[in-house]
Amino acid sequence: MSELLQQAPSLGNTLWFVLAAVVLLAVLLGFVTYAIYFERKVIGWMQLRIGPNRVGPLGLLQTVADVTKLLIKEDTRPKNADRALFTLAPILAYAPAFGVLAVMPFTESIQFADLGIGLLYYIALSGITVLGVITAGWASNNKYSLIGGLRSAAQMISYEVPLVMSVVGVVLLTGSMNLREIVEAQRDMWNIIPQFLGFVVFIIAAQAELNRTPFDLPEAESELVSGYHVEYSGFRFAMFMLAEYVYMFGMATLITVLFLGGWLPIIPQLDFIPGIIWFILKFSAYVFFQFWLRATMPRMRVDQLMSFAWKVLLPVALFNILLTAVVVSYQSGMF
Amino acid sequence: MLGLAKGLGYTFKKLTEKKVTHFYPDVPFPMPPRFRGIQHFSPEKCIVCNQCARVCPTECIQLTGKPHPDPEKKGKIIDTYDINFEICILCDLCTEVCPTEAIVMTNNFELAVYSRDELYKDLKWLDDNNTNVREEN
Repeated sequence: MSELLQQAPSLGNTLWFVLAAVVLLAVLLGFVTYAIYFERKVIGWMQLRIGPNRVGPLGLLQTVADVTKLLIKEDTRPKNADRALFTLAPILAYAPAFGVLAVMPFTESIQFADLGIGLLYYIALSGITVLGVITAGWASNNKYSLIGGLRSAAQMISYEVPLVMSVVGVVLLTGSMNLREIVEAQRDMWNIIPQFLGFVVFIIAAQAELNRTPFDLPEAESELVSGYHVEYSGFRFAMFMLAEYVYMFGMATLITVLFLGGWLPIIPQLDFIPGIIWFILKFSAYVFFQFWLRATMPRMRVDQLMSFAWKVLLPVALFNILLTAVVVSYQSGMF
Repeated sequence: MLGLAKGLGYTFKKLTEKKVTHFYPDVPFPMPPRFRGIQHFSPEKCIVCNQCARVCPTECIQLTGKPHPDPEKKGKIIDTYDINFEICILCDLCTEVCPTEAIVMTNNFELAVYSRDELYKDLKWLDDNNTNVREEN
């Protein structure tokens, strides 16, 4: 892929780009379909139920049926909604979620663009989704959506700060923002060990960024009118849900790359297993952890939400940066 | 912090535990012995005393009798017997009042149909409804 990017643009390589994007999209849709299926299954098992088992063998087509139902629904739009923004919002929420995957190195060879500042690209682009959420809340012309949108935006912006701060430690340790170099630097030891504090902060902040339990206050299906997407239904609602799960894909990829050694095996002796298998294993472990957490945790209280981000996570992340900086400069012989 | 780990451990243990889900439509669901289900009616036991129709709180039972075909014998035998399950509340009063146990409860309960007309069950249908008949009436 990288060589194609260096070439002069032509019809031929543009077609290749489109094809690659479509393949990634197909993989993504497959992931989302079965992530939802396994989420329901795992949560069902943990609650002593059996989960979806009716549509198709073992209920494997349940999500397909659900999505089909969403797609053939009537496209409703509130009468006084801001037409242009109402249409734009789901796109604004989804496009960056797909865009961030461009820099993700899945293995040594499977990567779409090898950006020098891949990490920064991810963080910068994922911030745009908040705009989609606010736009959706405002354009619906409904006070519940607006409040939900603002609540969502407040949470996502607050937790983005400790999220970014917690990866600074990794960047300091590696001396690079290139995701591929970050993985290569973990050959001896995965970042989860020297950066354990950063890892913990990252995992908590990531949970809040993804609007998932225990930080699912913006949606809080059991106590609020669901938030910024109250007025959305059918295809547009599917876009929001898709964005959410694609972010889960992105976050799982990022956490695998940053802390769990990407495509590297646990011990070098297991090198004969292809990198993509290792990647999928670590990736799935994180995704499973998300479902597990959802089946376990109650929702956080709204008055603790902000103070937790600013008074607990941020200081811990800053302390982690300081600690990493001291260790790195000591190792490089500064004192 | 320990509580978080404890909670996660608990849910993880539940992952492999036996599920409590009943496989009801695939596997029949056994009802308790005193369950009040759809009535079973045996026309040969009925003496056409009309008590069930009179005691019924929703008046869903309609019956007619005819003279005994054997002229030597007194009394009547049942001719038609209909229960309207649109309004039957399965209260068990008809089976309690019946002196000959001609009408008894069963453990069957699946009454869902596509048309309301199908809920009028006649003598033949109630006679054929002879599975899972309740032990004590």
